[in-house]
Amino acid sequence: MRNVGNMRTKGIYHLTQPTWCGGCGLFGVFEALKRAAAKVGLAPEEMVVVTGIGCHGRMNNYLRAYGFHALHGRVIPVAAGIKLANPRLKVIAVSGDGDAYSIGLGHFLHALRKNISLLYLVVNNRIYALTQGQASPTTDLGMVTISTPFGTKDYPMDGLRLGLAAGGTFLGRGFAGEVDHLAKLMVRGMDHNGFALIDILSPCVTHNKQNTYRWYKENIFFVEREPGYDPKDKNRAWEALHRPDRIAVGLLYEEKKPSWEDLLGLDKSRPLALEPLSVRREELEKIMENFR
Amino acid sequence: MIAGKAGDGVLFTGNVLARLLKRHGWEVATYRDFPSNIRGEPTAYTIRASVFSRGGLSDEVNILLAFDCEAILTNLHWVAFNGLVLCDGESFMAPPHMEAGGKSFHRFPLRAMAREKFGQEIFKNMIALGVLSYLLDLDCEVLKGIIGEMFLERKGEEVVKKNTLAVLFGYERAREIIVFSERYPLAKREDKDRLLLSGDEAIAFGALASGCRFFAAYPICPASEIHQWLAYFMPRFGGIVIQTEDEIAALNMVLGASYAGLRAMTATSGPGASLMMEAFSLAGMAEIPAVIAHVQRLGPATGIPTKTQQGDILQWIFGSHGEFPRIVLAPGTIGDCFELTVQAFNLAEKYQCPVVLLTELDMGQNYRTTHEFDLGDVRIDRGRLLSKEEMARLKDFKRYELTVDGISPRGLPSYKNGLHLVESLEHDERGYRQEDDAARIRMMEKRMRKLARARKDVPSVREFGPARPACGFITLGSTLAPVLEAVERLGEQGISSGCLQLRTLWPFPAPEVEEFLLRCSEVFIVENNYSGELATLLASQVRSLREVRQILRYGTRTFTPREIVEPVLSALG
Repeated sequence: MRNVGNMRTKGIYHLTQPTWCGGCGLFGVFEALKRAAAKVGLAPEEMVVVTGIGCHGRMNNYLRAYGFHALHGRVIPVAAGIKLANPRLKVIAVSGDGDAYSIGLGHFLHALRKNISLLYLVVNNRIYALTQGQASPTTDLGMVTISTPFGTKDYPMDGLRLGLAAGGTFLGRGFAGEVDHLAKLMVRGMDHNGFALIDILSPCVTHNKQNTYRWYKENIFFVEREPGYDPKDKNRAWEALHRPDRIAVGLLYEEKKPSWEDLLGLDKSRPLALEPLSVRREELEKIMENFR
Repeated sequence: MIAGKAGDGVLFTGNVLARLLKRHGWEVATYRDFPSNIRGEPTAYTIRASVFSRGGLSDEVNILLAFDCEAILTNLHWVAFNGLVLCDGESFMAPPHMEAGGKSFHRFPLRAMAREKFGQEIFKNMIALGVLSYLLDLDCEVLKGIIGEMFLERKGEEVVKKNTLAVLFGYERAREIIVFSERYPLAKREDKDRLLLSGDEAIAFGALASGCRFFAAYPICPASEIHQWLAYFMPRFGGIVIQTEDEIAALNMVLGASYAGLRAMTATSGPGASLMMEAFSLAGMAEIPAVIAHVQRLGPATGIPTKTQQGDILQWIFGSHGEFPRIVLAPGTIGDCFELTVQAFNLAEKYQCPVVLLTELDMGQNYRTTHEFDLGDVRIDRGRLLSKEEMARLKDFKRYELTVDGISPRGLPSYKNGLHLVESLEHDERGYRQEDDAARIRMMEKRMRKLARARKDVPSVREFGPARPACGFITLGSTLAPVLEAVERLGEQGISSGCLQLRTLWPFPAPEVEEFLLRCSEVFIVENNYSGELATLLASQVRSLREVRQILRYGTRTFTPREIVEPVLSALG
C-alpha cells in the first residue's frame, strides 16, 4: 500500500473542523492520522475508518474517508469483516478505552490472536467522557468520578500488557501531545502486516483532571531513547511496560508473523468484494451430487 | 427406529439406512432424538419410508433396533402392534425369541458378533445394517455402493472390504433368525431427480447458490451444520468462513463484509440469537443487507440444545431496541429451505435490511427427501447496488437518500465519488449524525417505507386442501409436516380440512390470513411452543380476529399426526 512517490497532502482528509472540547487529545489524534495517511499516500477512497461509541466516534464526522460508526465495543468485528471482504482497503479501527478494554475486550483479544491487518487506535483518556465522566477500565485506582463518588475500587488495566500476552505483533503507545511521534507510529502501524495496536494517551480536559498533558509529560518515557531498546525483544517490552514509575511510549514490540488474510489465502490483488457475483452452476451441480 | 446410547453409532447407522432407503426410491424422513451429551445417554433415530412424501415423526414404528435393553424400555411405547424388536442384549436374560403384548422380540448379539468376527465392536453398526437390509429386503449392492462412497477415498479399500463383509454377515445371520412373516419388504422404486438432505444443508447449499461468499458464526447446536457444511464447500468458490469469538462478533463481522460488498450470512440458535439482537438493530439502522439463519431449539436459557421448539418467533419480529424494517421467513420444507434462502439474499440486498430465515432443529437436523433443486431458477438481484462506473458518473451521492420507496442507492468502499458514512446514530441523507425532530421523522419513515414495498415481494403463503374446509389449520416451519398428515387423516374420516402455511412471518401476510379465516368453519393454529407465538402475532396483525383454537406442544419433540388429529376430533365433537 505504501507508495512513497505518491505522497499526499493531509488536507485531502480534512472534511470539517472538529467540535471536540478545546484542548482535547483527540485533536492530536486527528492531526496525526491525517499526517500518517498523507505520508503513506492513501487515497481517501482506499481508507475505511471504523469507530466505536465515545468522543472518538465523532472522528468520522470530521475525516474525509469511508466511515463506519459502529456500535459500542463492536469496532473490531465490523472492521475485520470489511478487511476480509476487501483486503486492498486500509482499514483503521478507532476505539476509546471503554470501547476497546471494557465492552469490546473479547473482540480485542481475538483480533490480537488472529493477527488481522487492522490499524487499531485506542484513544485512551482513562474516563468515559461522552457520558459525562464515569470511571473506565484505565481510570486510576481511587479516582473520584461521577460513578465512583468514593473513589474507584478497581485496579486499572493496560491494553499493551494484555496485547503482548495475547500474541500481539505490533504494540505501540503514543501521546496525543506528541503529534509528530504519534503520526510516525501510525505510519509504521499502517505498513504492518497484521494487527497493529496503538494505545494513545489522550487527555480529557473536561472530565479527567488527574491525567493532564502536564502529568503525562512528567510521567512518560520514550522507549526509542532507551539505550539498546529493540522492539523485537519481548522481554524488554515486558519490562518497559512494567516500570512502576513511568509509562512507556513508542513502538514497544514488533514481530513478523503471517496475518489472518495470509493464512486465509486471500488474494489482495483481486478483492472478492469487487468481483462480479458469479454462480458457477457446474460446480454447484457437482456438489448437489452429494445429496443423492 | 434405531436406539441406543450416545456414542453407539446410532446416528451413523441411521444416516446410512436413510440414504439406502432413498436409493431404493422411497420417500424418506428421519427424526433424531438425541441427548445434549457426547456419550452414555439414550438416543433414538427414527427413519420413515413411504411412497408419498411424509415430512416428520410418525405415531409409531414397525421395527425397533435397540443397541441395549434400556433402549427397549425407553422406546417400546413407540412400537406398533405386530411390531418387531431386535435387541443387542448381552445381559438380557430373556430367551432369544419371544412374543409379548403383540410385539415380537429377538435377541441379536451385535456387539458379540462384531468382536468375534471382526475383532472390534464398532462393526456392530454394519452388522445391524445388514440385518435391517434383510428385514426390509434391501439390495446389498446398493448398500455396498454407499459404503464405498463413505470410506473408499478417506479410509481405503481394506476398510470398505471389511465393512462390506460385516454387512453381508449381518444379512445372513438375520436370514437364520428372523422368520419370513416378520419382514417388511420394500420393493425397489425409481430414484430419479431426488435428493436427501437436512434443512441446515439445504440452507447452506442455498447460500452458496445465491452467491453468499462470507459466513461468520459461533458454534451452536443445531445451527452448526450450516457452518460446517459451508466451511467445507465455500472455499471452492473463493468464499470465507470464519468462526468468531461469539455471536456478537459474528453478526457484526457479517455487517462489515456486507458493507464492503460481499453477500454475507450467519447462523445461530437460542442464546446466540439473543446476543445478535444488538447488531440486528444496527443492520436495520445502517441499512446493511444481512441474512441470519436461526435454527430454533428448546429454550429458555440453555434449555435443551438438542430438542426442537418454535419459541423464538416473536424475538425476531419484535426483538431488539428501536424499530426498523426486517424480513422474517419460515421455510416449511427442505425445498423451502433452499428456495427461501435464495430469496433471502435477494430481499436483503433489495431492501437493504436484515433477513431472518427461521427454522427449527426438527427441520435443520433431520433428513428428508425432496425434489432436485432447480439451479436454473436461481436469480440474483442485488437491488440498488451501484457499480463503480455508475458511482463515478454521479454528481451527488447520498447513501441514505430519501426516495419514494425508501430504498437508497448503495456503493462500496473504494469507489471514487462515493465517500459516505455508515452511521449507527440517527443520520441525514449523507449518513451524518442529526438530531433534528423533522429530519428524524423523515428518515424513520424512509426506512419503514421499504417494508411496505417488500410486502409484495416476499414469499407468499401456501395453501393445502379444499377451498372451504370445515377445519382449517394455520402453521409454519417444520410443524407443517404433521399438520399435512393430520389433514389427510381427517379427510379419511370425512372431515374436510385444509392448511395455510405461512412462509413469510414479517411483513405479516394479513390479507391472505384474513381471507383464509373467513373460508374455514373452524380454525386451529398449530405450533411447537407454550404461549402460542404465532397466534399472538396473528391476533396483533389481523382485523376482527374470529375465535381460533390452538394446538400447542412444548415438550421435547415435535407433534405426531395423532397429536393434532385427536384435539381436532374432540373439539369438533
